Amino acid sequence: MTNPETKREITMLEAVREALVQEMRRDENVFLIGEDIGVYGGAFGVSKGMQEEFGMERVRDTPISEAGIAGACVGAALMGMRPVGEVMFMDFLTLMMDQLVNQAAKIRVMFGGKVSIPLVMRAPYGSGTGAAAQHCQSLESWFISTPGIKVICPSTPYDAKGLLVSAIRDNNPVVFMENKLLYKAKGFVPEDLYTLPISKGDVKREGKDMTIFSYGVTAQRSLEAAEILAKEGIDIEVIDPRTLKPLDKDLVIQSVSKTGRLLIVHEATKTGGFAGEVTSVVCESEAFDRLDAPIKRLCGLDIPIPYNRTLEKAATPQVEDIVKAARSLAIEGR
Amino acid sequence: MKAEVIMPKVDMDQETGTLVEWLKQEGDTVKKGEPLFVMLTAKASIEVEAPESGILRGITAKKDDVIPVTQVIAYIVSPDEKFEAPVAKPAESAAVKAPEMPSEAKKAENETSSVPTMVAGDASQVRATPLARAIAREKGLDLSAIAGRGPRGRIYKADVLSALDKGVGSIAAKPAMVQAPAGAAPAINIPLPNARIRERIPQKGVRTIIAQRLGYSWNSIPHIYESVNVNMEEIVRLRERVNQVIQNHTGLKVSYTAILALAVARLLPKHPFLNSSFTGDEVILWEDVNLGIATSLEDYLIVPVVRTAQELSLESIVKEMSRLLEAARGKKLEPADMSGSTFTISNLGMFGIESFTAIINPPETAILAVGKMVDTPVVIDGQVVVRPMMNLTLAVDHRVNDGARAAKFLSDLKSTLENPYLLI
Repeated sequence: MTNPETKREITMLEAVREALVQEMRRDENVFLIGEDIGVYGGAFGVSKGMQEEFGMERVRDTPISEAGIAGACVGAALMGMRPVGEVMFMDFLTLMMDQLVNQAAKIRVMFGGKVSIPLVMRAPYGSGTGAAAQHCQSLESWFISTPGIKVICPSTPYDAKGLLVSAIRDNNPVVFMENKLLYKAKGFVPEDLYTLPISKGDVKREGKDMTIFSYGVTAQRSLEAAEILAKEGIDIEVIDPRTLKPLDKDLVIQSVSKTGRLLIVHEATKTGGFAGEVTSVVCESEAFDRLDAPIKRLCGLDIPIPYNRTLEKAATPQVEDIVKAARSLAIEGR
Repeated sequence: MKAEVIMPKVDMDQETGTLVEWLKQEGDTVKKGEPLFVMLTAKASIEVEAPESGILRGITAKKDDVIPVTQVIAYIVSPDEKFEAPVAKPAESAAVKAPEMPSEAKKAENETSSVPTMVAGDASQVRATPLARAIAREKGLDLSAIAGRGPRGRIYKADVLSALDKGVGSIAAKPAMVQAPAGAAPAINIPLPNARIRERIPQKGVRTIIAQRLGYSWNSIPHIYESVNVNMEEIVRLRERVNQVIQNHTGLKVSYTAILALAVARLLPKHPFLNSSFTGDEVILWEDVNLGIATSLEDYLIVPVVRTAQELSLESIVKEMSRLLEAARGKKLEPADMSGSTFTISNLGMFGIESFTAIINPPETAILAVGKMVDTPVVIDGQVVVRPMMNLTLAVDHRVNDGARAAKFLSDLKSTLENPYLLI
């Protein structure tokens, strides 16, 4: 369990900004590119004030063309820069697919390792803002199934800062998912520049009765659910992979081997979602023989996110849903 | 060498296969995918294909050998290759020969116990979580003796631990029904007559299974029998009507067994306890009616299964029964065609048998024995008239069904057969 030794609390939004600012001060090859990130400060205000420090060259506003942003990132990365692109909503990654999937993910291997693509695409994701079906999606599984792209999704300000710095320094394209609701969530974050290892998950809460695997906003909700169930005497371990691809399989296998039960929670839709992959990782490992109940998935419904706020909540796992699912799995057969 | 030819494992619970015949001989050129030999499992005979193209060499198994699965029995080599049979390791050298001395008790016992059965209580049928299984393995517990509290009897770690506490399920305490191949035991102790021997017939393959299952059934299942005589005149009429039509469609005749199968399949969903299995802990009522039709071939009793018969039309039943019979005659029944029945019909009418009692085919809980249709004087409305009468004798497992439940089914079946228009 990571417990940063600092008393300073900041929001995840501030942690992301701090990572960008500190890394840009350290490395002049790092620059930001996106829609309205300069004067306006970005769709969620992450880069507010940064153009004043770094100028229009390093905090570049673009026309409304996501393909253009991604293409410029790939080109700049090829020329030795370390671009950090911002897409306003993860949903708009659809417009970047060719540049990311067919170019960024492939160029390094197709040129025999002569070039690398150190680009980061920051993608605010998830529902809960009332922004309806085209601005609320969680599209991680598309990129998880594309070799050559790393996918990171932090659930705390501390993880966000350390992992974003690592993502910028990584020589592979990284889709960096930032949950919109978590932007305002506070946590302890060291003021100094630091990195966290990619592909290393974290035990957010230790427990012995069952494991919840979750990331991003649902990891935080799972922690809340675990506290509620602790009062009923159910001791839940919450593990957060932090990096979805490449996955820290050992963390999952160890935890499930210990608890014998696994609930996987994510906001992305269930069918074809990451939970199915995690399930298979467990079933193919030695942890299979330690399972004392079927693995359960609690995921987004297989529907476009509704605009109506009540329906929007109903479409994705909330704290009470996790409590219910975790309770029934924890007590099954006991 | 290009490939090894092995005795394949085609069933989950198969440990040996009997070599029925080689379709290719030593030195023959074979093509990949070409049938190479015929094998017999406990359930069916199967043609095994060549794994590679080449020349067949080094055949070590001959007709009627019982061979452990995955054992190498021949090789396929390139035409230009000089073949030398690899020196077999002692462990796999000797095929288990068909025993020449069937009265040699030990051997016979080994043979039977090496063929697992599908009866209730078999550990392979148990539902348990992987962790529960792992603990049971470690502690040497028999899961089939442990009651699970989960859905459909699923056993959890907690169930295994509580059984361990109570001392339930240790392998020694395993219920005798699986272990004791009843029927074999008395023969060991009772002296054989001092007479000239005509022939010795080794107990193997399908016959072993039959002996084991029916022995178990007879010794362990309390049977109750009930009989009715059914006036078949309407069925005779119905058959005359539909036979020509179905024959025009399919070229197949409609047998009385097929009509009976239709009636039984339509009625069983209304009498679910007769279409059930008993595991010791629970009765499982089956949604599907998988109808076993007991069929006698020359040296065989086989029970091909008409699946989901409750959904089939008469024409479909006729077609499926004919397909199964054809396959059975050619010994080409797939294992899936011969397992998983939930109720069995046995008809000996064609041998002139007017009535008989049958033994339940576990894990079923009922069987219907059908006699010959006989023109019989009966009294109807005070008059003696001649009607084609048929005897039906139902056997049910008294642990699951009582006499009244069996009677309801039988009387329902009788009135349906006497008024077949009810089938519509």
